[in-house]
Amino acid sequence: MYRVRIAYRQEGPARYVSHLDVMRAFERAARRASLPLAYSSGFNPRPKITFAAPLAVGMSGCREYVDFELEKELDPAEVLDRLRENMPGGLVPYRAQAVAKGPSLMSLVQRNRYLAVGEAPEGMDQETVAAGLERFLACGEITVERQSAKGLRRKNIRPGIHSLAARLEGGKLYLTMELKAGSAGNVRPDEVIAALGRELPLLPDVFVFLRTALLGGDGRLLWDMKGDVDG
Amino acid sequence: MTLLERILARVEKPARYVGGELNAIVKDWRRVPVRIAFAFPDVYEVGMSHLGLHILYHVVNSRDDALMERVFAPWTDMEGEMRAHGLPLFSLESQRPLRDFDVIAFTLQYELSYTNVLNMLDLAGIPLESQDRCSEMPLVVVAGGPCAYNPEPLAPFLDAVFLGEGEEAVHDLVDTLRRYGRADRERLLRALAQIPGVYVPRFYRAEYAADGRLERVVPRVDGVPVRVSKRLVRDLDRAPFPVRPIVPYLETVHDRAVLEVFRGCTRGCRFCQAGAIYRPVREKSLETLLAQAEELVRHTGYNELSLASLSTTDYSAIKKLLETLVERYRDERVSVSLPSLRVDAFAVELARAVQEVRKSGLTFAPEAGSQRLRNVINKQVAEEDLLRTVEAAFRAGWLRVKLYFMLGLPGETIDDVEGIAKLARLVLAKGRECGVPKGRLSVTVSTSSFVPKPHTPFQWEPQAPLEVLRERQRFLQDRLKGKGLVYRWHDPETSFLEAVFARGDRRLAPVLRRAVELGCRLDGWRECFQFDRWLQAFTAVGVEPGAYAYRKYRYEDVLPWDHLGTGVDRDFLVAEHVRALAGEITQDCRDEACVGCGVCPNLDIVPRLLGVGKDVPG
Ligand code: SF4
Repeated sequence: MYRVRIAYRQEGPARYVSHLDVMRAFERAARRASLPLAYSSGFNPRPKITFAAPLAVGMSGCREYVDFELEKELDPAEVLDRLRENMPGGLVPYRAQAVAKGPSLMSLVQRNRYLAVGEAPEGMDQETVAAGLERFLACGEITVERQSAKGLRRKNIRPGIHSLAARLEGGKLYLTMELKAGSAGNVRPDEVIAALGRELPLLPDVFVFLRTALLGGDGRLLWDMKGDVDG
Repeated sequence: MTLLERILARVEKPARYVGGELNAIVKDWRRVPVRIAFAFPDVYEVGMSHLGLHILYHVVNSRDDALMERVFAPWTDMEGEMRAHGLPLFSLESQRPLRDFDVIAFTLQYELSYTNVLNMLDLAGIPLESQDRCSEMPLVVVAGGPCAYNPEPLAPFLDAVFLGEGEEAVHDLVDTLRRYGRADRERLLRALAQIPGVYVPRFYRAEYAADGRLERVVPRVDGVPVRVSKRLVRDLDRAPFPVRPIVPYLETVHDRAVLEVFRGCTRGCRFCQAGAIYRPVREKSLETLLAQAEELVRHTGYNELSLASLSTTDYSAIKKLLETLVERYRDERVSVSLPSLRVDAFAVELARAVQEVRKSGLTFAPEAGSQRLRNVINKQVAEEDLLRTVEAAFRAGWLRVKLYFMLGLPGETIDDVEGIAKLARLVLAKGRECGVPKGRLSVTVSTSSFVPKPHTPFQWEPQAPLEVLRERQRFLQDRLKGKGLVYRWHDPETSFLEAVFARGDRRLAPVLRRAVELGCRLDGWRECFQFDRWLQAFTAVGVEPGAYAYRKYRYEDVLPWDHLGTGVDRDFLVAEHVRALAGEITQDCRDEACVGCGVCPNLDIVPRLLGVGKDVPG
């Protein structure tokens, strides 16, 4: 079994596509590209394509990952080429690498890095922003309400905010944040913005979100591409 | 963040509104003189499952001088946002407002989507009535669709109606627009009325007698045909077919590659409008089908290929076709599927060849519960056939069988309804006899209500009253209790409105308008359908809906669609109606002799069974 890891961007209209539909899009692209996909065994065989982490609907991703398991060895560069020719616009594979068998991509992701860009309210300056952020991060507890199957639940997201920084430029506010990922204690960037609204006069409705990186537990990139040749 | 982005962040399934799918075509507007929006009056997932959309999209976009983009009915949440923020309805490809297009081409698949047509025009900021639109506004067109064969309830809203198959007529539309432009609307509409198969409602006047009876629909101007007859594609084998269809991201109703095997069905079920309007049978050759299948699989990446036609298993080389496809794509794990099965053992054999047995249930449509009534509707299925068929299915390993029936067919008595329950029990008993484990055996009976449709032998028949339909449903609910039996039914209220608008005339247009104002839309969706609002609309306008649904026409009455033709002779429909009442059946002209429906001589064509390489003399 051969495993090829692909890095891709999800942008433009494709950012409105749900994770489930992105999975199907890759599966179809792989079939159009005639990749020798490996299938699961059992009653309803599925191609072995696994993703690092679902991206929320509406969000762009700059560095998303997917692993393909193949029945035959194929040069990663060739896999990349064939996929690129067969993807719908908006899903853009740009790097490929053969990976050894190991833990699943999903289990490696411990943090997400996001960029949120929004209109800055009239009259906001760098000092106000800095002071607001400081107050926000100084809070020992930041509670948000989440709608779950069992009704409204309150949750403290402060431990899941690893970093948060802001920059004001040309009337726009750029917020970068590193947030906890995974089924236990995942924090969403829109929750952070909404909570930050208690300290800063933000308009939570007008932010565009980008996921810029997927990180391991040590805060390092899952796949450091420095030194890689461009695919 | 743009207004649209802000809105999309708040609605369900935003991918419905953004396009960007594989094989979608975005053209440069500055280089393309004729711009058409294909408007499907239902949500994205329904519209994208419609083969006609893919065909016309392909045909128009193959031209250098024309482009086609798509637009669908927004779901209620999106509509609310659009109205709240003044965002006009826009196309998916270029996200331009519909007003910027030359043509808005609606397809009318279903009477209950008429409110969506009006609502979409309103959302686009286009005046609803043809007479209120100036040359700055697009020309509104109905492109094909079965309901175009009686578009009268929509007459004031439509500029031109295209009868029949659109592949060739759409070229005439583009050419006419190029030649005449749209500056002078009157001149353009006159030119459109010259295209065969095109009906321009405003050039016709409906006259009524003092007692309200329709007397006639006649041309009000010179030079337009008294009767408009449908267009059809002669050689389906060489007709353009979209082998690079758009592949949606969203899961659609039919989420698979679709290969059209043939057009037309001549089995002659007397209630069936599709059987009447798509005549005669025109098959594609085996080579063409195999070549198109190959391209479809390559260009879409779907894991399922569906063979679509009105009655696919009737294809003259069906066995060969299926075996070849199954064999060819097995290794790539692309499965082949048949949308419907006829009731015979051969069909089960075919289903076995294509389907993972047990994976799904098998569906059969006896349509009526007794032999007598099946003869009336010309559904040639004997009880023994059905039992033999399900026996074959159970023995082959299927556990679930679904049976479709219609309630309220002409002349139906309670004995016929009882017959449905009896048949279901016989099928269940057969399952037990074949050793299907008790806990897993299931027989589902599904009923819809009969709707008398224009251009069929039953067009003169009234619909059964709502109370009768409800009572018969309750009767079946009682009879179909017990282990292994499931009963499902369609709401008779929607069938009632279907009948009203299917048989309607121009006097229903204000009702549609009023219904939309009262908030009726997406009426095909249970969660949106509000029957009381509809009744309110009828009352407000002073139209009695029952007068349309329940009217029994005499042969000498003028029908609202008499000036529109399918090629089938009226005399044939009368004869079929008479035979129906006498319980006499009529053969299929596919393999028997011509039964004289008139389509072939009228349209100068013959049935083509290219699967076995032959033309049948009509
Ligand atoms: S004219 Fe005859 S052969 Fe042609 S469709 Fe009608 S019945 Fe069949």
